[in-house]
Amino acid sequence: MMDSISFLRVIKIGFVNFWRNFWLSAAATIVMTVTLVIFSSLFTVFILTNYSIHTIQNTVDISVYFKIGLADDQITKIKDDIAHDPRIKEIDYVSAEQAFDNFKAAHQNDPLITESLNELTQNPLPATLHIKTYNLSDYPGVAQNLESDQYKSFIDKVNFEDNRVVIERLNTILKFVVTFGLALVAIFALIAILVIYNTITLTIYNRKEEVEIMRLVGATNWYIRGPFLMESLLYSIFSTIITAALFVPVYYKVLPKVVAYINPQLNIYSNSLFHFGYLVLILFVLALLLSVISSMLAIRKYLKT
Amino acid sequence: MIKFENVVKQYQDNKALDGVNLQVHHGEFISLVGLSGAGKTTLFKLIIGEEQIDGGKILIDDIDISQVRKSDLPYLRRKIGIVFQDMKLLPRRTAFENVAFAMEVCGHNADKIQSEVPKILELVGLLHKRDSFPEEMSGGEKQRVAIARALSHRPVLLLADEPTGNLDEVNAAEVLDLLLKINQLGTTVILATHASDLVNKINKRVVTIEDGKITLQQEKGRYKL
Repeated sequence: MMDSISFLRVIKIGFVNFWRNFWLSAAATIVMTVTLVIFSSLFTVFILTNYSIHTIQNTVDISVYFKIGLADDQITKIKDDIAHDPRIKEIDYVSAEQAFDNFKAAHQNDPLITESLNELTQNPLPATLHIKTYNLSDYPGVAQNLESDQYKSFIDKVNFEDNRVVIERLNTILKFVVTFGLALVAIFALIAILVIYNTITLTIYNRKEEVEIMRLVGATNWYIRGPFLMESLLYSIFSTIITAALFVPVYYKVLPKVVAYINPQLNIYSNSLFHFGYLVLILFVLALLLSVISSMLAIRKYLKT
Repeated sequence: MIKFENVVKQYQDNKALDGVNLQVHHGEFISLVGLSGAGKTTLFKLIIGEEQIDGGKILIDDIDISQVRKSDLPYLRRKIGIVFQDMKLLPRRTAFENVAFAMEVCGHNADKIQSEVPKILELVGLLHKRDSFPEEMSGGEKQRVAIARALSHRPVLLLADEPTGNLDEVNAAEVLDLLLKINQLGTTVILATHASDLVNKINKRVVTIEDGKITLQQEKGRYKL
């Protein structure tokens, strides 16, 4: 294996190669940066859209209002009956008393309402079920089923807010963005690989004599290859830094606002921070992959040992 | 030290070496003579493991080099110095840096390089040219820098492939004197050449190679074809 002196020398030669062909290195870094920027945009849009869908999806449910005065055991029976439907994810039962208490608690600071409630001899609120399904597309079917004759005599009203159209539209957009984005990333990744491959090939060509002499005087394979790998590693490091720098304002200024608009209750800042760390990590891994693949291809082809 | 047993090397349908048997002993000075294309360079390439043999065996200190792993070849090469007709010096580096380069490549630390390189340059008589670039030196001086570089690992064997091919008589004689001096200091030297006057002057073992076959071996020989 390589000792520390050789290791440091390899790193140093890598840097020297990078600066000697500055414009070639810059071109390779820029192409890689473009790839990473496209990828980051895709990543960001994906997270945002996904997040919106998730938020909206959570607001969708079916509310079933029972007729007033229906006995508890009857309600439980219907509930258990409905629960057999495999499409249903969860059923939340709110009894008439609970609904009343909730209402009272919600308005306890309003003397007028409290007073009026005290006047009541009978609970005016119905018992309700809140139903969520696994799939968005199941809501209409489940709602329809509840409206069938079987339940008609017990159920006053089935309420179902149809956000499905919005969600489906978002899903379509998301699918399109991901497909189109991935294709774009793939194309630019290919361009980046080709450009880096060419750059490394040129560097190898420029240092042909040196490489030949190195081999003859007994340099190890890694000592010869290391600097070229190092050079391509520098492309990935620089392009990751540039891309991350470009996306700092997006993640720390723009995104919190957008997410706050979608769902004001969430702690956005910590969330984007988390995403940003992830993004940088993924970017670096992607960049590393691209540079290692392309430089290894060039090295294998032109540095036969 | 080196033993060639029935070595065959083939390039497509051209037999570069055809059943070569040769034994080189420690401390010897051998002149390997023959026309260009006779197989001298191929012989050297086989010794340093840059080419693989197609038949027979090459033993270096009883190690069969076809058994040496690729990753260990660099360490074999550090035991063998090699110089060429075209010197292969790095044009943008000084004499000192050219020699230092070989030591850097093999992982020697800066202190050792600083202390060793002047000694080697002195041995080849070029300490006063340490800061000169190749283009500022004569052919003979350049070849001596190349020899200094080859000596930087203190090799046990020095292979010189037509080292005087590009040099005039005076420079060639200088280089030859240096090779003899290195040999006297204990390094085995194999000199491949087709310069008959040089060989005749050396008066040591001569091996003649023709069309990939050794045709003549003389203990204190003269150049004969």
